[in-house]
Amino acid sequence: MEAVRQPVCLLLSATCVLLTAIIPMVLMHNLGEDGRIARDSGLAFHLVFGLFISGYAACSSLSREMHSGTAAVVLSKPVDRALFFLAKYAGVTVLVFLFSACACISTLLAERTAERFISNSTLLGYVTDWQTGKMLIGAPFVAFLLAGIINYRWKKSFQSSAFFLLFGCLVVVLLVSGLFDQAGRWAPYSLHIQHRIVPGGILVTLALLVLAAIALAFSTRLSIVPTMTLTGAFFVIGLLSDHWFGKLAAESAVGRCLYGIVPNWQNFWCADYLARGGTIPMGVLWGTAVYALAYTGAVLCLGVLSFRSAEIK
Amino acid sequence: MNEKPDESVVVIENLTKVFKDFWRRPKVCAVDNISISIKRGEVFGLLGPNGSGKSTTIKVVLGLLHATRGQVRVLGRVPTDVSVKERLGYLPEESHLYLYLTARETLDLYGKLFALEKRIRKERTEQLLEMLGLVDAADRPVGEFSKGMARRIGLAQALINDPDIVILDEPTSGLDPVGCRQVKDLILTLAGRGKTILLCSHLLADVEDVCDRIAILYRGRIRAHGQVSDLLEERDSLRVTMPAMPPGLTQEVLKLLKEKTGTEPALDHPAMDLETFFLDVLKEASARSEPGSRPAGERSVADYLRPGS
Repeated sequence: MEAVRQPVCLLLSATCVLLTAIIPMVLMHNLGEDGRIARDSGLAFHLVFGLFISGYAACSSLSREMHSGTAAVVLSKPVDRALFFLAKYAGVTVLVFLFSACACISTLLAERTAERFISNSTLLGYVTDWQTGKMLIGAPFVAFLLAGIINYRWKKSFQSSAFFLLFGCLVVVLLVSGLFDQAGRWAPYSLHIQHRIVPGGILVTLALLVLAAIALAFSTRLSIVPTMTLTGAFFVIGLLSDHWFGKLAAESAVGRCLYGIVPNWQNFWCADYLARGGTIPMGVLWGTAVYALAYTGAVLCLGVLSFRSAEIK
Repeated sequence: MNEKPDESVVVIENLTKVFKDFWRRPKVCAVDNISISIKRGEVFGLLGPNGSGKSTTIKVVLGLLHATRGQVRVLGRVPTDVSVKERLGYLPEESHLYLYLTARETLDLYGKLFALEKRIRKERTEQLLEMLGLVDAADRPVGEFSKGMARRIGLAQALINDPDIVILDEPTSGLDPVGCRQVKDLILTLAGRGKTILLCSHLLADVEDVCDRIAILYRGRIRAHGQVSDLLEERDSLRVTMPAMPPGLTQEVLKLLKEKTGTEPALDHPAMDLETFFLDVLKEASARSEPGSRPAGERSVADYLRPGS
């Protein structure tokens, strides 16, 4: 819960939702590519904002606690260091899941908002779903307003209330939007929502979880700035993994080793599969999930080993 | 683990702690070859100026830092043993708590770390909040607390498990005189129940009031140690306290003493210390302004911390 209560994470999540919502509303003359742009932008915002959220949450939950002395208080209790480390990762995971759910729903709704060619008895031509767009933009404000009321009335944490309410509001918007077509008539749910985007969001979420594990492992020995810098470097190197180490891996053992050590983020970016109405194959999804699980497991093991011998000042 | 009353529950032998820089080169020797043994039920004070190695010693005892040389045993075990920590309570120098949790949530969280039952956690939380005067602030985030309030909630978390060994790092730092007195009374109450207290402070009056034995650290080394009474006693002088006498009789006694001893005796009226005077004034003012209310500084000790509980 501590991770969810960090104002920075709430602000980044709300900004991600708003930017994702705005993109399809400001696009003009895209030759029918609005949906793709909204979808790709949504996934990109999901990844970029998620990078900051997972990195920051991992750093603040361990590195900051180690330097501020909070970790010392907790570890003076009967808490095993490995358990403490893994609990921190679990906390970050909850935050990443919550953020990812919000980001993923926003992408679904942004794609729904985007201009598309409609041809039926009442509509003919390119139509932007302004209703869905307005509801999507309104969701963070409604969540903040309700969280403010809850904070005023029941003295509950504004941040955590707002975070959960943001998710709740987005779910409501998704359901409402999914039950009506662009003309405002009732339609069976899912007819106008592109659920094939969800696996893309799941893959980005897996990438964020791997990244969070890397940041948390660095946090056991480094302060926030070096941790964020190294995690960022890992991200950039991982994006270029195929280019830098792919060829090298085919030629030498060192190359194979480097290729294996550096996380390959290309595995997690499957927006191309979604082009022209395509879907992400389940084999790709499962393969990447196994890769993410194995990589995260290995990084967490190293993190536990490092944390066991770390000195808590 | 049943300890005999005079058994040492904390044993530090030839402890040296050297902090290293990024390149693993020695940077500073915070603790240099110190040996301390603390018996069960004892209130032991570690004194010293800032940077003398007090907090470092405590953190090695808690298993948070690793000794460079020497060894530490707490309840007969290495301090990194998790089971030892079930019987420890630790108040750090600064109250490092989760800023977004409320006071009640904070105590509940620390109670959970000791696997206390929900009912016990709730009882103790309420008792500690009442004892430390935090009932009105129980549902406020700890991040909004003043330094004194944060100190109190820090003290509460250190006592949530009713520990056998309480390690207090500057416990009265940031507290008002009423809070200081309350903490000192609490230490004496805990000691009365057979708890072992390791107190670390640079406030000499606090240490003098509550400690049985002390060690004075300076630049990582012990410069003096022993019973407080032994260390402070001036064996070559004597004080006699008695009710006030008529002026003539006083002069006669002084004259007699001068004749017999050959030295000039000093005469003065015993004075109460400022803390006692301050608390008396507050007590009186409190009783006068709110008849029937409990005077400040007289909040009860939590039931589960009372003698016989």
